[in-house]
Amino acid sequence: MIAQPAPKQEVLARRDAIVAGLRRLLPESGVIAEPIRLRPYETDGLAAYRQPPLAVALPETTEQVAAVLRFLHEEGVRIIPRGAGTSLSGGALPMADAVVVGLMRLNRILAIDYADRCATVQAGVTNIGITQAVQGTGFFYAPDPSSQLACMIGGNVGMNSGGAHCLRYGVTANNLLGLKIVTVSGEIIDIGGAHLDAAGYDWLGLLTGSEGQLAVVTEVTVRILRGPEGARAMLAAFRANEVAGACVDAIISSGIIPVALEFMDRPAIHACEAFAHAGYPLDAEAMLIIEVEGSPAEQDFLLSRIREICERHDPISLKVSQSAEESAAIWKGRKGAFGAVGRISPDYLCMDGTIPTGRLPEVLRRIGEMSERYGLKVANIFHAGDGNLHPLIMFDANDPDSFARAERFGADVLRLCVEVGGCLTGEHGVGVEKRDLMDAQFTPTDLAQQRRIKDAFDPLWLLNPSKVFPLVETLKQAA
Amino acid sequence: MSEALAPADEEGVVTALAEAYDAGVPLEISGRGSKRGMLRPVQAARGLSVAGHAGITLYSPQELVIAAKAGTRLDEIEAAVAAHGQHLIAEPPDLSGVLGVRAPQTLGGVVAANLSGPRRIAGGATRDHVLGVRAVNGRGELIRSGGRVLKNVTGLDLCKLLSGSHGTLAVLTEITLKVLPAPERCGTVTLTGIDPTKGVAALSAALGSPYGVSAAAYLPAGAAARVPALAWLGAAVALVRVEDFAPSVAYRTEKLRQELARFGRTELLDDGASRNAWRAVRDALPLRGEEGAIWRVSVRPSAAPAAAAAVVGAFGARWFMDWGGGLIWIAGPPSEAAHDAVVAAARAGGGTWMLLRAPDGLRAAASVIPQEPPALARITSAVKAAFDPKGILNPGRMYPGV
Amino acid sequence: MQTSFTAEQLRDPAIAASNQVLRTCVHCGFCTATCPTFVLLGDELDSPRGRIYLIKDMLESGRPATGDVARHVDRCLSCLSCMTTCPSGVHYMHLVDHARTVIEETFRRPWHDRMLRALLAAVLPYPGRMRAALAAARLGRPFAALVPGSTTLGRRLRAMLALAPRGQMPRSTLDGVRTHPAEGTRRARVALLAGCAQRVLDPGINDATIRLLTRLGVEVVVARGAGCCGALTHHMGRHAPAMASARANIDAWTREIEGDGLDAIVVNTSGCGTTLKDYGFMFRTGEAALRERAERVASLVADISEFLVRIGYAPTREPPGLTVAYHAACSLQHGQRVTEAPKLLLRKAGFRVVEPAEGHLCCGSAGTYNLLQPEIATRLRDRKLQNIRTTAPDLIAAGNIGCLTQLAGGGLPTVHTVALLDWMAGGPAPAGLKPAPPATGTR
Ligand SMILES: Cc1cc2nc3c(=O)[nH]c(=O)nc-3n(C[C@H](O)[C@H](O)[C@H](O)COP(=O)(O)OP(=O)(O)OC[C@H]3O[C@@H](n4cnc5c(N)ncnc54)[C@H](O)[C@@H]3O)c2cc1C
Ligand code: SF4
Ligand code: SF4
Repeated sequence: MIAQPAPKQEVLARRDAIVAGLRRLLPESGVIAEPIRLRPYETDGLAAYRQPPLAVALPETTEQVAAVLRFLHEEGVRIIPRGAGTSLSGGALPMADAVVVGLMRLNRILAIDYADRCATVQAGVTNIGITQAVQGTGFFYAPDPSSQLACMIGGNVGMNSGGAHCLRYGVTANNLLGLKIVTVSGEIIDIGGAHLDAAGYDWLGLLTGSEGQLAVVTEVTVRILRGPEGARAMLAAFRANEVAGACVDAIISSGIIPVALEFMDRPAIHACEAFAHAGYPLDAEAMLIIEVEGSPAEQDFLLSRIREICERHDPISLKVSQSAEESAAIWKGRKGAFGAVGRISPDYLCMDGTIPTGRLPEVLRRIGEMSERYGLKVANIFHAGDGNLHPLIMFDANDPDSFARAERFGADVLRLCVEVGGCLTGEHGVGVEKRDLMDAQFTPTDLAQQRRIKDAFDPLWLLNPSKVFPLVETLKQAA
Repeated sequence: MSEALAPADEEGVVTALAEAYDAGVPLEISGRGSKRGMLRPVQAARGLSVAGHAGITLYSPQELVIAAKAGTRLDEIEAAVAAHGQHLIAEPPDLSGVLGVRAPQTLGGVVAANLSGPRRIAGGATRDHVLGVRAVNGRGELIRSGGRVLKNVTGLDLCKLLSGSHGTLAVLTEITLKVLPAPERCGTVTLTGIDPTKGVAALSAALGSPYGVSAAAYLPAGAAARVPALAWLGAAVALVRVEDFAPSVAYRTEKLRQELARFGRTELLDDGASRNAWRAVRDALPLRGEEGAIWRVSVRPSAAPAAAAAVVGAFGARWFMDWGGGLIWIAGPPSEAAHDAVVAAARAGGGTWMLLRAPDGLRAAASVIPQEPPALARITSAVKAAFDPKGILNPGRMYPGV
Repeated sequence: MQTSFTAEQLRDPAIAASNQVLRTCVHCGFCTATCPTFVLLGDELDSPRGRIYLIKDMLESGRPATGDVARHVDRCLSCLSCMTTCPSGVHYMHLVDHARTVIEETFRRPWHDRMLRALLAAVLPYPGRMRAALAAARLGRPFAALVPGSTTLGRRLRAMLALAPRGQMPRSTLDGVRTHPAEGTRRARVALLAGCAQRVLDPGINDATIRLLTRLGVEVVVARGAGCCGALTHHMGRHAPAMASARANIDAWTREIEGDGLDAIVVNTSGCGTTLKDYGFMFRTGEAALRERAERVASLVADISEFLVRIGYAPTREPPGLTVAYHAACSLQHGQRVTEAPKLLLRKAGFRVVEPAEGHLCCGSAGTYNLLQPEIATRLRDRKLQNIRTTAPDLIAAGNIGCLTQLAGGGLPTVHTVALLDWMAGGPAPAGLKPAPPATGTR
C-alpha cells in the first residue's frame, strides 16, 4: 500500500459535525457517510491503492459544489474531486480525512452551437456523451481516450486525457474553449468562453492536466469538429519490433500523418484478438494499426502510399479493412486492450511513459529484460505516432510479492522512459502512482516552482493532496 | 534607461536575473524588440534581451520536434524545418508590418505572445505546440517544464502558462516545438461580393463541412484591395483554404465550391495565389499603413459581423476577419472613445480584445486586455508572485501593478 | 481485482464462483456509464462497479447483508447492460444472483416488502393464480387513487394496479400441452416455452409463434411438465423454488429430446430465454447426469428471432408502410446478445425499422422490478418513451412481454416482434393495428 500522510486527527474527531454540515447543503441522497457505503468509493481505476474517505458528497449544481467547497474550506477538510473514477494513476484515491466530491450528478448538456462549433456541458457528462449528442449532424468531440464510454469530461480536463486519434486531433487541452471552475474557497469563476485564445494568462492551459490540484471544474466548453467523409484502418504485421518502428519513422518522414498510428507487440496482439476477433495477425511480433480519413479516393491514395512504405519493411501481412464493421472490430480490439489483458491476468498495472519514437526498439528490448528479471509478463501498446507507451504489467493482486514486484517493475520502466529523453506520463497523469518518481524528471527548483503555483490556488493544500507532488512536499506543507 | 543586458547564454540570463532580483531592479524583457509596442508600456530600469542566446539545439524530423534557444530568429527556424518539408503548425504571423518595426522576431517573442496565424482554427495555437520550455523566473532560478516528446502530462503545464505570458512570469531561454509535414499543395475557394453576415455564415458552413478546411477569413472590399492576390476580385471576399496532398486539394476545393455555391459566386485561387493571400491575412497586411491604433478582438464567430458593424458605426473602423470570424483585426483612431467602442463590441460578442498597437498614452491608460473578475485577479497576482515575487519582469505589461 | 476470501470460504462453491467473477473485474469503471441506475441516480453505489464492490465486501466479511447493501442491490435491474460493456468478461449476472440469494437468506426486510415479494413469488409463476389476481386487480384499478399515498406499500400497490392490462383477457386457443404438426413437410421439431406470466398477459404471442412456425414447416410441442423458467423467483433471490422450476423444465424437455427429438427449444419471452440458456451454470455443482442434461437443454435454447433467422423467414403480404421502433429488450440484447436478428426480420417483413437513442438502457420493466421499484421503473419508462417518440414511429416492437407491458399506455401500440412477423406472413393483424394489406402470395 502506498504511503499517505497521517490523517488530521482533529478532522476525524469532527466527523459527525462535518457530515451534518454537508447534509445541510445537499439533498439526502447526496451525502454518503456509512462505512459500508463508503467502501466502493475507496479506489478508482488503479484498484491496487485503496482508502475509504471520511464522506462522499454528490452535488447536483455548480452552486452546490461551491457551497460544499466553501464549507470544507472553512472546516479545513481535504477535498478529493472525482469524476467517473477511471484514473489509472490513482488520481481520485481518497484519504481517510478527506471528503470525495463526486461530479457525476452534473451530467447535463447545456448548449450545442453548430455555427460556432462548440458545446458546453457539465463536468459529469461522459466523453462519449458529447459525441453522441452531436453526431447526428456529423460532428464529434475529438479526444477519444479508450475509457471514453465512462470517463467524464471533468476528469478528462483533470488529466488532459488523450486517445488514439490525438495524433491528428490533439489532446483535451487542444480542444477546450472555456471552463467554469470553483476555487477551493468556493468562488465560481468563468475562464474563456466560446472564443479562441482569451487574453491574459493561459488558465485554460494551466488547469487542464492539473489533476484536481487547483480547482474543481463544473462546466466545460469544448470545440466540436465535423467528422471526415470516412475513415479506414489498415493492419500491418511485422517480424520484429525494430522493423515496425522503422516503418513508423518512414511513414512520418514521407509527410503522411495518419489519424491514428498504433503499435502492439505480440502479447498485446494475442490478448486483444481473443477479445475482439478482429483478425489480428497472430504470427506477428509487432503490428501497426494505421488509420487514414477522407473520401474513398483519398483513403485509397493514402493507403496505397502507406502500403508501399510498409512493403519496404518486409511485412508478414498487410490488411486493409473492407467495411465499417471490420474497422469497428479493429478498434474494438485496441480500445478494449486493457480489459482484454484483464481476461488473461487477474490484475495489471498500466504504465504511461512517453519516449522519443526513435528509441522504441531499445526501450522494448529493455522492458523485455526487466520482465524476465521480475518474473512478470508484460504486453506493450504504443501510440506510435506520438511516442506514448503503455506497458501493461500483469500480476496477481492476491499475491503481495507479485504486486510489490509489479510496482518496482513499473517504476523502472518509467525511469527508463525519462532516461531516454521521455517523460513519466503521457496522458494518465501523475496521480498518487508516480508522484515519488517526479524527481527523476524534475529538479528541486522545477518542483518548487510548481508547488508555488499550487500555493497560489490552494494555500492550505486541501485540494486532492498527496498527489502529483512527491509525498515529502505534502508533508512539508502539512508541517 | 541604462544599456540593455544582453546575456549570451542561459547562465548569463540566470545571473542577470538573480542580480536584478537581489537588487529589486525591474527589467524590460525582449528578444529583438519587435513586440515592444504591444500591450502596456513597461516601467523598467533596464532592458534584458535574449537575442544573443540563439541557435537550434535539436531537430528530429521523424519525431516531429525542434528545439531552439529563445533568441533564435523565427525565420531561421522556418527555413530549417522547410528544408525537411515541414512547417510550424500554428503559422505564427510576422507583425512587423502592422507594428511598424523592422526587427525580425525571435522564437521567444512569438511564444511569449502566443501569436498564431490563420491555421489556428484547424491546427491549434502556438501554445498548443510548445512541448517543452526552459526559462528563468523572477528569482533568477532556471526552471523547466515539459520535454521533447509529443505527449506529456507530467506535473503542472508551465509550457502553456508561460506561452502568452508576455515575459511577465519568466524569461524563456529555450523552447521545444512540435512541427508537422508541410502540405504538398494549397488551394483557396473565394466567395466575392458577399456581405459580412453571409460571409461568416459561409465560413461556418465550410468549417462545418467534412473537407478539412485549414483557414477561413473574410475581407471587406477595402481590405481585399490591399492584398495583391485578391485585389483583382474588386470586392469583399470570403476565403476558405485547403492544404493537403495535391489530389486532395483538387477534390476538396471542388467539393467546397459546390457546397458554397448557395452563398454566391465562387472562384479558385491556385497554390501560389493562395500562399500570397494567406500570408497577407496572417501578417494583417490589409491594415498595414493604417495610422492610429490596432486591436485584435476574439469573439464567437457568429457574433463577429455585429461586432464589426458596431466599430464601423462607432468610429469608421477598418477591419477584416480571420479564424472563421473568430478573430477581428480592427484599425481606428488611438482614442479612448474608439477603445471603449472596441471593448463594448468585444463584450457584446462574448469575447475578449487586445490593444495591439497604440501610442504609449493610450496603452498606459486603457485596459489593453480585459480586466479579470476579482476572484481571478487575485489568482493572477498570486501566480505572478509565485514566479516573480519582486515584480521585476516586465512590470505592468499586461495589467497595471502585475 | 484483489479479493480476501479465506480458504475455508472458498470451499463453498458459490463463493468460489463469485471469487472468480470478482478476480476478473479490473475495476476499470467502463460499466458504470451504461448502467441505467447510475445514469439516473448519479451515485457509484447504484452502478455495477459499486454493487460489485458492495457484494465483494458482503461476501468477504461473511456477515449478514445489511439494509444498505440490500437497497443498492435491489435497485439493480439485472438488465445486464454492464455485461455487454465489460471488456474483461465479468459475469455480473452470476455474482448478483448469488448476492440476491445471500440477501434473501440473511437480511430481514421490512414487513411490507416481505409481503409483496412473497405474494409475487406465489402468483406470477402460476398462470391460473395470475389470471385470478389480475381480474381482482382490474376491479381494483378504479380504487388506485384511494390507496394511501405515502407508504411504500401504497406506492407499490398502485404500481401493480396500474400495470394490470385493460380490457378483456382472452385465453390462448393454442398453447396448452399438445403437439402442433408442421404444415407440409416437417423441417424441424421444436419445443416452445409456453411461459407463465406472458400466457396470461398476452396469449396472442404464443398463438402467433405457433402459427408462424407450423406454417414454416416446424412441428411445435408444448411439453407436459414444462412451466415457469424460474427467472422470477431466481431474481428475487429465492433459490429453492427457482431450482425446482428449472428442474421440472429440464426433465420435461429431456423427455422430448430423448423421445421424438428436438432441434431447438424456442423462447418468445427473452427474459426467460436468458435464464434457460444459463441452466448449465445453475446446475454446475449437481450430479453429472443432471448437469449434462441441463447443459444439453441450455444449448438447444433459441430466441424465436434467432430460430427464424436460422430456418429462414419470408413475408407473404405487401409491405404495410409502417415504421416500427424496435425496442431491444435487455434480456435479448444484453442477456443473450441477440441484437441483429429481430431487426433483420422486421425489415425483411417490410417494416421501416428505427432504433431509438439510448437503446442500451432498460425500460424499467425488468421482471418484477416495476413492481418492486416503481419510482426508478417509471423514470426509466418515461425516458425510454421519450426516446422512442423522437423517432416518430407508428408502433413499438419488442421481444419480451415485460417490456411490452411496461411501454403500453405511452400512446403507441406495443406489439411482440413475432406477432408482426406472423401478420406479414399471413396471420391476423395484431390488436390495435390497422388491417393488413392484402396477401399477394407471390412474394
Ligand atoms: C481501461 C482504461 C483505459 C483508459 N484509456 C485512456 C486513454 O486512452 N487515454 C487517457 O488519456 N486516459 C485513459 N484512461 C485513464 C482515465 O480514463 C482518464 O484519466 C480519464 O480522464 C479520467 O476521467 P474520470 O472521469 O474517470 O476522472 P477520475 O478518475 O474520477 O479523476 C481523474 C482526476 O481528475 C480529477 N478530477 C475529476 N473530475 C474533476 C473535476 N470536475 N474538477 C477537477 N478535477 C477533477 C480527480 O481528482 C483526479 O485527479 C483509461 C482508463 C482505463 C480504466
Ligand atoms: S444489471 Fe443493469 S442495473 Fe444492474 S448493475 Fe448491471 S447495468 Fe446496472
Ligand atoms: S467493466 Fe467489467 S472489469 Fe470494468 S469495472 Fe465493470 S465489471 Fe469490472
